[in-house]
Amino acid sequence: MSFRTQAQAALRICYFNGIMPLWRSPLLIAAVFLTPFSFLFFLYVIAPRSLFPFGVVGGILFTALFTGNGMLNDCAYLRLERQLQQVFVASPVSPLAYLLGMALSELAFALPATVLFASILVLVRPVGPLALAALLGVVLVTWLLATTLGFFISTLFAQLREIWPIGTLVFSLLSVLPPVFYPATEIPARWQWVALLAPSTYSAQLADRAVGLGGGISTGVAFVDSPFFAVGMLVAVTLLFGGAALFLARWREP
Amino acid sequence: MDALEAVGLSKTYARRGASVRALDRVDLAIPKNALFAFLGRNGAGKTTFIKIAATLLLPTEGTVTLFGHDVVADPASVRPLMALVPQEGKLFFHLTPREHVYEYLRVRGASKESATSRTDAILEAMGLLPHQNVIALRLSGGLQQRTLVAMVLATEAPFLFLDEPTLGMDPFARRQVWEVIRRAARRGSTVLLTTHYLDEAEQLSDELAVVEGGRILYRGTGEALKATVGREVRLQFSGGVRPEELAPFGKVFADRDRVVLLTARASVRELTELALSRGGEVTVGPVTLEEAFLDLVGRGIGEDES
Repeated sequence: MSFRTQAQAALRICYFNGIMPLWRSPLLIAAVFLTPFSFLFFLYVIAPRSLFPFGVVGGILFTALFTGNGMLNDCAYLRLERQLQQVFVASPVSPLAYLLGMALSELAFALPATVLFASILVLVRPVGPLALAALLGVVLVTWLLATTLGFFISTLFAQLREIWPIGTLVFSLLSVLPPVFYPATEIPARWQWVALLAPSTYSAQLADRAVGLGGGISTGVAFVDSPFFAVGMLVAVTLLFGGAALFLARWREP
Repeated sequence: MDALEAVGLSKTYARRGASVRALDRVDLAIPKNALFAFLGRNGAGKTTFIKIAATLLLPTEGTVTLFGHDVVADPASVRPLMALVPQEGKLFFHLTPREHVYEYLRVRGASKESATSRTDAILEAMGLLPHQNVIALRLSGGLQQRTLVAMVLATEAPFLFLDEPTLGMDPFARRQVWEVIRRAARRGSTVLLTTHYLDEAEQLSDELAVVEGGRILYRGTGEALKATVGREVRLQFSGGVRPEELAPFGKVFADRDRVVLLTARASVRELTELALSRGGEVTVGPVTLEEAFLDLVGRGIGEDES
């Protein structure tokens, strides 16, 4: 199959695995939206109003990050429970096309919630088209990072029961604890280095900056605190996870 | 050139610190356009062989080539040539049979027109037209399995791996699927199927291999396998005789409910009269593949690996 037909294969997988289930079970939209919205509601009730926009951006990033959890669970489910990944392995569909198709399916699931959060953001804070485009870029890289990580992890285990807790653990650690829903300045200065261990911190730094929110990491090292460092780290981690998904993931069992 | 050639194929799994030999130096060649069946008990090694040949699993030793391409070294060349029905595969619960077949064909690169016509044809051939627009969640297990098989047969791939394709189907549906599989072979596909339905292996395949303990114990036709038993007639007794009484007359297989004797035609009258005179029941018929399997393997096909 040519590059074009592989790209078409990815889009078709997205269509029947992402768009059609949403079309037939719209309740799935609420399921994706509910957790980040609950965090946002909680912030709205207990935190100062000035932190609310951070929560809205956090909701967008949480949704993008949790595509990784969806990817992990869906890929593991299709491989282990339904044996359907095998049907795609024994076919002309390349691992990259399958990975991309599954990742796009997760993006389709995340899209309605992302649009809702973006709408809330526009309502609470004036955001120009350039800022929205930059935010979209961060969201897409975060989605790529999360879904490639999810796919990679999904191929490492032979039992669904082993996988479910790992997904929740990994993606909660990435999306709830780091400064995604709140500004990094809320973390004591000497602990801000720890936040840099999570790639989602870089997503949040860039997303907050894109929409004109402050509260960035301030470790005192100018290079580390700069947006270029965040861009570099985010791209590097995405390449790392992408490489793991493409070259280390078990498309074929050992 | 054969469609599939395996040389010295072995697979050892490491399980809980112990190693399990699932395939043990298997040599096998399947000619093009053949309809070949792997017959064996659960855990005999059938699925492991298929998984390796279908590029799902790496072997421990040995090689497999498909149409001359090494499946380990060059999977990208062989994958377009194959399609697989996995063992106990299940459908996308939100898609209908029509969508499963059509979308799978499109994913594999078929044009819109070709996918539509092939979908129509396979749904009709598999008796799925009345259910074509029902989502999989609402289909019975048998219809789901038929849809999975339809998806794969519609590809018209040069090599079809069918791992227990008729599992869970009623006898009528099984026969319908057999016919479509035969048609695929007539059209030019090579088919390797695994089954533990003896009648399926006998009715469907040009040739079969009996697999046990990771080895091929027999390869040939079903008729030739039955001939290896060396007896002409099968007598099945329910009461009236004890297995040890029958031993001098031929090969005896006994379980809780019945005693089966494979014997010469000349003994039939004597043994039948003996059993009937004692109030037992006797059925007389030709030797079946079941006894041939039991004779060869030493255990029934329904007994799991232990």
